[in-house]
Amino acid sequence: MSRAPLWLRRYAALIRNAWLVDLQYRASIVLWLLWGVTEPAVALGIWWGIAGDGQVAGYARADFARYFFALMLVNQLTIAWDSWYLDGWIREGELNFRLARPLHPAHEAVAENIAYKARTAGMIVVVWLVVSLVWPAVRLPLAPGRWALTAAAVLLAAAMRFFISFTTGLLAFWTTRATAIMELHAGVSLFLSGRLAPLALLPPAVAAAAALTWFPYMLAFPVELLTGAAQGRAVVTGFVGQLVWLGVWIAAYHVTWTRGLRRYGAVGG
Amino acid sequence: MPPAITADRLSKTFKVKVRDPGLKGALRALLKPRYRDVHAVRDVTFAIEPGEIVGFLGPNGAGKTTTLKMLAGLLYPTSGRVAVAGFAPWGGGPAFKRRIALVLGNRQQLVWDLPPEETFQLNRAIYDIAEPDYRERLAELVALLDLGDLLQKPVRQLSLGERMKCELAAALLHRPPILFLDEPTLGLDVTAQEAIRRFLTQYRERYGATVLLTSHYMQDVTALASRVLIINRGRLLYDGALAALVARISRTKRIELVLADGVTREVLAGFGDVKEFRFPNAVLEVPREDAATTSARLLAALPVADLSIEDPPIEDVIRAAFAGGIELDEP
Ligand SMILES: Nc1ncnc2c1ncn2[C@@H]1O[C@H](COP(=O)(O)OP(=O)(O)O)[C@@H](O)[C@H]1O
Ligand SMILES: [Mg+2]
Repeated sequence: MSRAPLWLRRYAALIRNAWLVDLQYRASIVLWLLWGVTEPAVALGIWWGIAGDGQVAGYARADFARYFFALMLVNQLTIAWDSWYLDGWIREGELNFRLARPLHPAHEAVAENIAYKARTAGMIVVVWLVVSLVWPAVRLPLAPGRWALTAAAVLLAAAMRFFISFTTGLLAFWTTRATAIMELHAGVSLFLSGRLAPLALLPPAVAAAAALTWFPYMLAFPVELLTGAAQGRAVVTGFVGQLVWLGVWIAAYHVTWTRGLRRYGAVGG
Repeated sequence: MPPAITADRLSKTFKVKVRDPGLKGALRALLKPRYRDVHAVRDVTFAIEPGEIVGFLGPNGAGKTTTLKMLAGLLYPTSGRVAVAGFAPWGGGPAFKRRIALVLGNRQQLVWDLPPEETFQLNRAIYDIAEPDYRERLAELVALLDLGDLLQKPVRQLSLGERMKCELAAALLHRPPILFLDEPTLGLDVTAQEAIRRFLTQYRERYGATVLLTSHYMQDVTALASRVLIINRGRLLYDGALAALVARISRTKRIELVLADGVTREVLAGFGDVKEFRFPNAVLEVPREDAATTSARLLAALPVADLSIEDPPIEDVIRAAFAGGIELDEP
């Protein structure tokens, strides 16, 4: 272990600490996980009832079931709580010692994400496997190529949601409302990222507007890639959209981080 | 060797939003915010040589923490220059950060829910400390700080003093040549304070580290540092040896007496200002230049069993300096 390269050792240590801390807060992790399961389960229940024996915008009952199980997993793998952490670090003065260390604080945040997601997403996979034993509707066709593509899309979505959350958290340098802004973002994403319904069910005008934002790429696209709903051209545009928006959010993060630190240190002020 | 730390006409002004009370005030703050300048540090100049241990003294709000944060690169000076270990701290990058330790009194790096050893291991990875070095340094810190079985207890179960000791250990594993310690003994009991002071002395002797330590406990400074910087309302009032400070600013001496029978407070009052009278002990305060003659007169006129001439307590001297009642020369 001590012969591993520096960054591997750093990440191993950061993830270990995050994992150990999470272990102490099992109860709250279970709560967050329950919420992560309940929301799609409720949505599924509603659409299940509406679909009846027919279809809604091409979605039959089984399609909804697969969609919301995939959503549950992808959401857990891509969710990011970083704005809450950062807001706390900045307001409680816990950023100080982090800035005095020769390691960018974002690495600690990334490690937290990895530790949290490994645990919760792992649990969801187990739940999904168990449910699929008794409920054929939620079974996915065996398609390793598609799963590999999905893995790439999930990684991009997770990176994008990380930068969105981190950047929003950095707003705490300017305002005490950083987490409120993040809540607002989560509220909008409820509709535009496919959390409440597949995007195909949105009114055409809303769907067209959503397509111009990052919301579909942070959740709906990898979900539809996993269920098989995204095919051909949609796969290409999905990845292009993800890359473009990831780039935009990385740039936003850069600007916010440098400006925020300058404001914190009041450079020139 | 160039100085380890230099501050040259260092100033920091914070702009603070002014808010008048009430709804009208809130509205005005939103539409047309007004700012007030807080001059936290003004024109502070000093140089600290490698291996020096310097006490940074001043009352609350004097500008000590702000100065340390500028030296550590967290705050950018409004004007003036700083150099630490040959670096400009702001933007000094990882190479600079490896050379310093910053321990801020309130918010610290130990992970609250885990034993201190987990934070130590994390720092080992962050600072890229080789395993044998890590083990050797940890063993040494455990011995010097008497950490014993604390390493495996969750931080939240440690006392304040135990936590500060572990905090110091975490901050020193990478063996930084320059230490910035902000109120390291704040809130600790006397034993813990002494342990920390003893450790800092030993650490500096072993590694020749440069230490700048803020405190508003006088004992910290009298025990640790031969040199003090005194700051008040952002201005440096004094830079020099503690003993010289007393000589320079205290205009009085204390004559401590042990009296024999028959001497009253009233009799003593004829010789000077009676500060304490608890028979047979008494303390007289007299002008500095009169100390010798007054002592001679006392010995001649009264039955005195014992007499000694002392400087006033350092606390009183510095309190007087802070109160601004005494003019200090420009350092
Ligand atoms: N971030 C900040 N914004 C505005 N004012 C500040 C800030 N930090 C410190 N101050 C003010 O600057 C002055 C010096 O504070 P500080 O350096 O913390 O003093 P000390 O550490 O000596 O107690 C105080 O008046 C304090 O209120
Ligand atoms: Mg302070």
